[in-house]
Amino acid sequence: MLIDDTIYGYAVARVKALETHLLEQGQFERMINASTGEEALKVLSESGYAAALAELDDIHNFETVLADELRYVFNLVMKISPLPELIGMLALRYDIHNLKVLFKARFLGITSDLLIPVGSVELAKLENAVTEDDFLLLPEKLRRAANQIIEDFMVNRDPQIVDLILDRVLYDQLIEEARERQAPFLEGLFVRQIDLTNLKTLIRVKQMGLSRDFLSRVLLPKGTLAVEKLAAMIEEPLESLISMLDISDYADLVGEGVREWSEKGSASLLEKLSDNYITAYLREGKWVPFGVEPLVGYLWAKEIEIKNIRIVLVGKINQLPAESIRERIRDVYV
Amino acid sequence: MEGIAIAMLGVALAVGLAGSGSAIGIGIVGQSACGLISEDPDKFGQTLLLQALPGTQGIYGLLAGFLIMQDIGIVGEELIELTAYQGYAYLMAALPIAIAGFSSGIYQGRVLASSINLIAKRPEELGKGIVYAVMVETYAVFALLATILMLFGIDV
Repeated sequence: MLIDDTIYGYAVARVKALETHLLEQGQFERMINASTGEEALKVLSESGYAAALAELDDIHNFETVLADELRYVFNLVMKISPLPELIGMLALRYDIHNLKVLFKARFLGITSDLLIPVGSVELAKLENAVTEDDFLLLPEKLRRAANQIIEDFMVNRDPQIVDLILDRVLYDQLIEEARERQAPFLEGLFVRQIDLTNLKTLIRVKQMGLSRDFLSRVLLPKGTLAVEKLAAMIEEPLESLISMLDISDYADLVGEGVREWSEKGSASLLEKLSDNYITAYLREGKWVPFGVEPLVGYLWAKEIEIKNIRIVLVGKINQLPAESIRERIRDVYV
Repeated sequence: MEGIAIAMLGVALAVGLAGSGSAIGIGIVGQSACGLISEDPDKFGQTLLLQALPGTQGIYGLLAGFLIMQDIGIVGEELIELTAYQGYAYLMAALPIAIAGFSSGIYQGRVLASSINLIAKRPEELGKGIVYAVMVETYAVFALLATILMLFGIDV
């Protein structure tokens, strides 16, 4: 007991109590079976979302409720965590997301409503930085990435580089920090996310008919699947990718998800299986009594819950059949 | 006469170390309990019961210390003449509960913190959470038994 891990006792117990309020599969089932979007909302108002929903006047504005909830949960976990910097690493993804949205909106000359008010840097600050072209107030790594994006865009005029540069910065930073702070569980999470991102990139690039050169430039390093091996797959039929990953953890995911993608042209099953895969990984740390694992798991559980609510409500508003909503619902964490 | 001082070291270790084990254990459970109570104040009674469990090590230590103090006359009429040999015998007798009390208090606290997480989800399983902690308790009881048997064997 060289390091006192019991500093996590308070936060973990609190998160365990909070977990009991997470929506269960049965509640989603009832929402799916509701006759209208409003009925589905009513089911949701029987849960922890009641107070926020009471103030909602139009069902089409439900995104604000979800965004508020996500921000609240992040702030809460950050506040109770004895090492908030570990939770901050998880918030970085939202900074990157917001930067992507802002840059693309600027390059395409549009305004976007896809910003998420979570992250380590205030949204207003990010917005200001991108519109004013002044990145001095951003953290160093983001600043360098932003400058790189501007430089590259001046030359190539291709908004795609925004995603490429920012994803690389995100995962380089996360892996480096996880190692520095000796957080193997978080590193395991990021490595898996890199692998899943790379698999999706591979399929997408393959479908766009782009070159192997391009692919090896956009694949993220530091995953468990070697970049060269993945890049080589662009010239092979899909079956060889499936057989290459046959003995890896990703066998089922690729076997079902990738096959569906290439046959039906829809990535939604692969996206769902990827989310379920991460959920299964995080569940391994669910009962750690003293450690960051349950906190990370709870945040992810909340993100998945919000994603599921969005899937159901959007589906209900657009009057999709129950079956097609159901098949997109992610596994819940508890 | 120096035997008394050595025997008193035994008393100090039994009460001090076993008490520290309890204090740390109770502290650990208390932190977890606060986390749960901040979301679910109705479980106060259950958490208090769990938090009290690692207190027994301190009681065992105090009991052992008290027995020695009585033997050597610190509690009572007058001090008894002890040789160094007898003093060491008391010191040795105090060690089992001092050592096992310290470590079992801490580890029982860790088990009970997990039990707090357990009742956050399943309050009806409180009993099982206690049973796991009692398994740790066994070894504090064995240590106390050894300490008492050793004390009975000392001739003064």
